[in-house]
Amino acid sequence: MNRHTGRMNRHLGRVLAAATAALVLVTAGCGGGDEPAVGDDGREILTIALWNYDSTPEFAALIDGFEAAHPDIDVQPVDILADDYAEKVTTMLAGGDQTDVLTMKNVTDYSRYALRGQLASVADEAADLDQSKYLSLEPFNLDGDYFALPYRQDFWVLYHNKALLADTGADLTSLTWAEYADLAKQLTTGSGQDTVYGTYHHTWRSIIHSTAAAQSGGDLIGGEYGFLKDRYEMVLDLQDAGATMPWATASTQKVQYHTMFSTGQAAMLPMGTWYAARLIEEKKAGSIDVDWGIAPLPQVTEGGPVTTFGSPTAFAVNNKARNSDAARAFVAWAAGPDGAAAIASIGVYPAYSDETITETYFGVDGMTNDEVAQAAFQPDEVVLEMPVSEKSSDVDVILTEEHELIMIGERAVDDGIAEMGKRVTSEVD
Amino acid sequence: MAIHTPIDTVRTPVPGGPPPGTGAARRLRRRNTLAGWSFILPNFIGFAALTLVPVVAALALAFMEWNSYSTPEWVGLDNFRRMVGSETFWTALYNTTYYALGHIPLTLVAALGFAVLLNRALRGVRFFRTALFFPYITALVAVAVVWNMLFNPDAGPVNQLLRAIGVDNPPGWTTSTTWAMPAVIITSVWRDMGYYMVLYLAGLQTIPAELYEAARTDGASAWQRFRHITVPSLRPTTFFVLIMLTISSFKVFDLIQVMTEGGPGRATLVLSQLIFREGITQGRFGYSSAIAMVLFVVVLVITVVQFQLQRRGER
Repeated sequence: MNRHTGRMNRHLGRVLAAATAALVLVTAGCGGGDEPAVGDDGREILTIALWNYDSTPEFAALIDGFEAAHPDIDVQPVDILADDYAEKVTTMLAGGDQTDVLTMKNVTDYSRYALRGQLASVADEAADLDQSKYLSLEPFNLDGDYFALPYRQDFWVLYHNKALLADTGADLTSLTWAEYADLAKQLTTGSGQDTVYGTYHHTWRSIIHSTAAAQSGGDLIGGEYGFLKDRYEMVLDLQDAGATMPWATASTQKVQYHTMFSTGQAAMLPMGTWYAARLIEEKKAGSIDVDWGIAPLPQVTEGGPVTTFGSPTAFAVNNKARNSDAARAFVAWAAGPDGAAAIASIGVYPAYSDETITETYFGVDGMTNDEVAQAAFQPDEVVLEMPVSEKSSDVDVILTEEHELIMIGERAVDDGIAEMGKRVTSEVD
Repeated sequence: MAIHTPIDTVRTPVPGGPPPGTGAARRLRRRNTLAGWSFILPNFIGFAALTLVPVVAALALAFMEWNSYSTPEWVGLDNFRRMVGSETFWTALYNTTYYALGHIPLTLVAALGFAVLLNRALRGVRFFRTALFFPYITALVAVAVVWNMLFNPDAGPVNQLLRAIGVDNPPGWTTSTTWAMPAVIITSVWRDMGYYMVLYLAGLQTIPAELYEAARTDGASAWQRFRHITVPSLRPTTFFVLIMLTISSFKVFDLIQVMTEGGPGRATLVLSQLIFREGITQGRFGYSSAIAMVLFVVVLVITVVQFQLQRRGER
């Protein structure tokens, strides 16, 4: 062997050793391991996918409460931007992610994940709940099985800025949509950057679609959407009158409803009950100064039953969870009386409710609890935002696309409604 | 099939090494082969694991129904039949072509124009080159968000400028089905042209100055010099730019996802977005793979045609 060959062999040996080491590292990195994760302190690690942890106080309340009750478990939030939550979780699940608990932001996503087999059954935990005190469990029933348990029950109400509405003398306990529109126009002042809008409609189609479906008995996945016409005409009229920010501006500027309402740029805001907790917290911290109130959602006609729409928020156990037992314990705890007490104490309306919980909720420091607010929290009927079905997700895409075209004025209301029906009928299996 | 590496074919004896045909020579050749593979293997493993296997899997999935959890079910051509009957697929294919037909020529012309303009000893030329390249290294989400603000129909600077120069009814840009795609194309051209300009600048450096001097002596105008010297000399660079632009245009995703999410309505929905939506969001990985195969074939055919045209041009 000459010197050249010897050097070559040594070099080759090093290269092969390095390549083997790299391969082993890559292979080891790919392997997940199914053992529950345990932290340095010996506690089991439980991961929970959730959104905007810092500005959604209920998550901290639930996690702190659960950890206090289960000192052997360390709950670690997997924080995701609220706007990207559904997309991110869908991608995570498709990639075999092992995050233990998944928050179900709405029932459309829930049905999608559950019907794909991505969630573990929690039927046993559901059976342990006292259903007489439990709201909104039924939408999670999929052929007799349950794959998530709601911990929060939201429904839509009308937030209002008391200072801006002070001189109107409006009776907010029984507004019709027509009166609401008149009030919004009356409250609009200023121009350009100084405009104070009478109301603000966020870009979600549910503001139109789900309110109309709930209050007119319409079916959002049925393919017949004539019941949307009146509501579209009202909202577009408010846009034309300048009494609400145009949809196109709100969409392209990615306007935050919280900014519009808390800084006094909008006098009214139809929104879910979840928003109260953020207002309470930020007002307590001194970061906002709005004098806010809650009223029932306006109705089609005056004097009838108050109907609104809502969407429960739930926790589910990932079918591939690394720590399935701890995940089940968390889901059951959050949905039960202890979880309800934890979130009611910060102004979030829980799925489980009894007299004590209601008392806690209205007794929260900073909670609006006048007669109008009390009325808002006692609607006669809360209809689900979107029916749970295999079709929900596909229908949602079509309705959203056509909704955009109507809102930017590219399609007349009648044409848009007709197109929704045509596409849902022809494109959804 | 035997695999021949360049090392296999080397028959020239190493100076000072064993004579060819002997056992020692064979051992040396084997060691050389092993050395060659050891250099190739890490790259090949990466390519196989991250590209080759997923592509082959996608091809197989195109003929199956699979939601990523259940067992895949063979459905033959069902996914392709569904695709042909889907209005949304044709809309996405049309939009992808629309984007490519806008993005490719505009980027090419802008990149070449700026490269010619900045290929001379001007004061501050380096600053302008850097400024033009800067968008390419800027985070795409930031680019999309900023351009969305610029295109705001009411308060955006673009429409303010248009109003200032007398346009009474400026476009709605990303809030208009007519103008959303042009808005996306303008943004992507602005972002990409700096990169391709650098490629053209490199190409321009290779053109001998004598050619221009001779043409000048013969009385050729600037336009004639550009047309008869610059453009033909840059043919290899243009070919490369064209191929890269074609591939990147047909698989555009991120910019549109952030700027318009395919809207308003389906005005900017492109094939890669439809692939993402059907696969990841709706869990129809088989159907999504079938669309991906179509996109692959479209890009492949266009690229092959470009190669053929290039070869014909070289003859």
